[in-house]
Amino acid sequence: MMEIAPERAEPVDFLTTARDLLPEGASYEACIACGLCASGCPASGLYGMDPRRFIRMAMLGLNEELAGTPWVWTCTQCKRCAYICPMGIDVSVLVGIARGGWPRDKKPKGIMRSCEAQMRDDSTSAMGLRSADFIEIIAETVDEIREGDKRFKNLTAPIDKAGAEFVVNQNSREPAVEPEELGPLWKIFDYVGVSWSYTSKGWAAENFCMFTGDETSWKEMVKTRVEAINALGAKTWINTECGHSFYTMWKGIERFGLEADFEAGNLISFYAKWIREGRLPVNSDWNRDNLKFTVQDPCQLVRKSIGDPVADDLRFVARKLVGEGNFVDMQPCRSANYCCGGGGGFLQAGMNEQRRAYGKRKFDQIIATKAQYVLTPCHNCHSQMSDIGGYYGGKYHVVHFWTLICLSLGILGPNERKYLGPELACL
Amino acid sequence: MKRRQRRIKTKLAVIGAGLSGFSAAIFALKRGIKTTLLGHTGALAYTTGYLDLLGARRGRLLDDPWAGLAALREDEPEHPLARLGNDEIKDAFACFTAALRDMGIGYSMPGALNRMVLLPAGIRKPTLCVPDTMLAGMEAADRRAKTLILDFAGLAGFSAAEFKANFLTTWPAITVQKIQFPGMEHGQVFPEVMARALEVPSLYAELARRISPRLDGARYVGLPAILGMHAPDEVHAAMERLLGLPVFEIPTIPPAVPGIRLRELFERALPETGLELEPQLKVQRADLRPDGITLYLHGPMEDLEVESEAVILASGRFLSGGLKAGHETLSEPLLGLPLYQPGARKDWYRREYLDRRGHRINRAGVKTDTDLRPLGGDGAPVNTRLFAAGSLLAHQDWVRQRCGTGLAIATALRAVKSAQAILS
Repeated sequence: MMEIAPERAEPVDFLTTARDLLPEGASYEACIACGLCASGCPASGLYGMDPRRFIRMAMLGLNEELAGTPWVWTCTQCKRCAYICPMGIDVSVLVGIARGGWPRDKKPKGIMRSCEAQMRDDSTSAMGLRSADFIEIIAETVDEIREGDKRFKNLTAPIDKAGAEFVVNQNSREPAVEPEELGPLWKIFDYVGVSWSYTSKGWAAENFCMFTGDETSWKEMVKTRVEAINALGAKTWINTECGHSFYTMWKGIERFGLEADFEAGNLISFYAKWIREGRLPVNSDWNRDNLKFTVQDPCQLVRKSIGDPVADDLRFVARKLVGEGNFVDMQPCRSANYCCGGGGGFLQAGMNEQRRAYGKRKFDQIIATKAQYVLTPCHNCHSQMSDIGGYYGGKYHVVHFWTLICLSLGILGPNERKYLGPELACL
Repeated sequence: MKRRQRRIKTKLAVIGAGLSGFSAAIFALKRGIKTTLLGHTGALAYTTGYLDLLGARRGRLLDDPWAGLAALREDEPEHPLARLGNDEIKDAFACFTAALRDMGIGYSMPGALNRMVLLPAGIRKPTLCVPDTMLAGMEAADRRAKTLILDFAGLAGFSAAEFKANFLTTWPAITVQKIQFPGMEHGQVFPEVMARALEVPSLYAELARRISPRLDGARYVGLPAILGMHAPDEVHAAMERLLGLPVFEIPTIPPAVPGIRLRELFERALPETGLELEPQLKVQRADLRPDGITLYLHGPMEDLEVESEAVILASGRFLSGGLKAGHETLSEPLLGLPLYQPGARKDWYRREYLDRRGHRINRAGVKTDTDLRPLGGDGAPVNTRLFAAGSLLAHQDWVRQRCGTGLAIATALRAVKSAQAILS
């Protein structure tokens, strides 16, 4: 991608604009240029830019140069810079402003297309899956599971069920391209006896509009979903295993002052709760070969949203599933974890060379654990880690939690095993 | 949307995620005290990895820090280290280095004398305890041994040529080589990135292959501190095995690996031994009462209340926000503790930066009694459950006196002992 001259009469003044967005006590003037941010950022060096340089250029008022650097599309806005900076300086805020300032036709087409698809109708699906098709796919898949496994002959996947305890937003990837991956989560809900529902409008769990820097569209996405959830009167909203959609939703509600009559829950913490309560009696007996597993903390869920409590839950669930001695942490991890390079729209941005260079650090982290499997509750992490594994020659597999939970409970269907390696797929 | 509310009930809350805060947590956990540590990262990542006790007095380097402490007690009786006994200080170092070793980074134990360690500019300085990965450097320098010093193309934080130039007269047998780090042949490279990459065995094997043909009879190999992040002793041992020579690390200028190693070690290992850690959040407000202290923090999605029987304030100085400088006065922003400080701004600094007497502002800080309870305006403790430790304490100049670690961990130990005495 070439550097561009944004088509704006007056380039944005980064410092002035950012000042309004900074949390209390944070200040760009406090930067002592130590470089911890740049040293700890996998995007450093791409397009000759890094977080320290970005901040220093903003301090110097080099607004035009910042407005034009394509580096802003390689920064995944993971906020690791803010985490390790003694001053708490958050470069991702400036990056968001810069993205918003790019002319629409110069922004990465993949991210723009995803946002445009979301805006097309009230499904809010980034893969353009309309609500009528979604409802049909859900119904067909429910039928297949009922017919295929008599233990689940009463399984349901309700849509617009008023008074359900949980409303679930569904990542489009499953209904659009791999409906067989819908089943494991439904089986878990059925097993635990959860009262839940999808919504027919705003059912999707992705939000690429935030990544385009287009605040109006971001707000529109969140508003459609919030209204649909409010209408059902659910106590708790959760996503399928997902990172960024969780962040864009709660952050959007807060940022745009939307009225939401529900709590933001996350699926991983509910897995942990149900296991603790004995409602999801998983064990690691299936892991007879003592396969080693590591876990990827999605930035959007851990560092940017809930923090270490959900990282604890991730590990609690992982250890129960694979066996205490078969779990190996990546280093660093939890709130200090590296972004894999799949976030921020990077996967959709068409910048494969840069994305894989970014992902090399994640790849090294995974290889250092010697794990055969990586567990992650995020679709972008999932795709990126699979891609860099293939690209750099890693032998590991990337799996969802729902796959292992169902495997452990003996309820994983034969067609629900596509992400397992051969030694587990045949169990 | 409803914000989540979370409450933590604990025995001891430590405010500050620096050397002092983490060592307080180590000492408290060892005593079986339920401990919660709160605080966003501070200056810990800037350390060299060396643990100084007392390296300088009146502008002169000290061989014997213990004798230095005796002298300090004579002419700076209010200095926080002067109010502690040598046994207690030694205890703090011994316990701290043992804990580091248990968690996975080997350190030398505190000895009777300071050791002269290497700095990246090619000079030596006195310190008390040294990471195992850096020990062989002192030996090489003492023996003036033939030594190969390496640096890396694209690395800004360390120059082998500068190191050699400054040692020219005292250690002439240094040769230098600049090599390419495997897989990072283009652009700027950071020590942190190299260190993490070296956790992968195929990468340190490749690095050793690149070094081997350049040894040319060297008896030691020195390189910037990049030998792994979480298992430096393993990576160091592997490099020594592959090269067949003693290998040592030299700390680099920040952002450097040894400090990041310590921070990530604490964040990783201490929660496994029972520490409740909130590493992202700063304490925003505190409510001091005779029967307990409540701390208030605000996360992205939740409000957190920490109810504690005792609190150790280890929030550091200006960089980490423990102290704040206004136009005319300094303040302690969380509790508004009265500070020992120069009368007016014109008295903060002397005219010459390198004035041997130091600057008055550097001795400003929180005043305490010998139990390390902060004192109020009336000279009495502000609250019987509140203690302070580390660099926010008054009457010290840790940079000039080279006593940063000693100050941090010895006062942390005293604060923990004082806190323990009042816990139910």
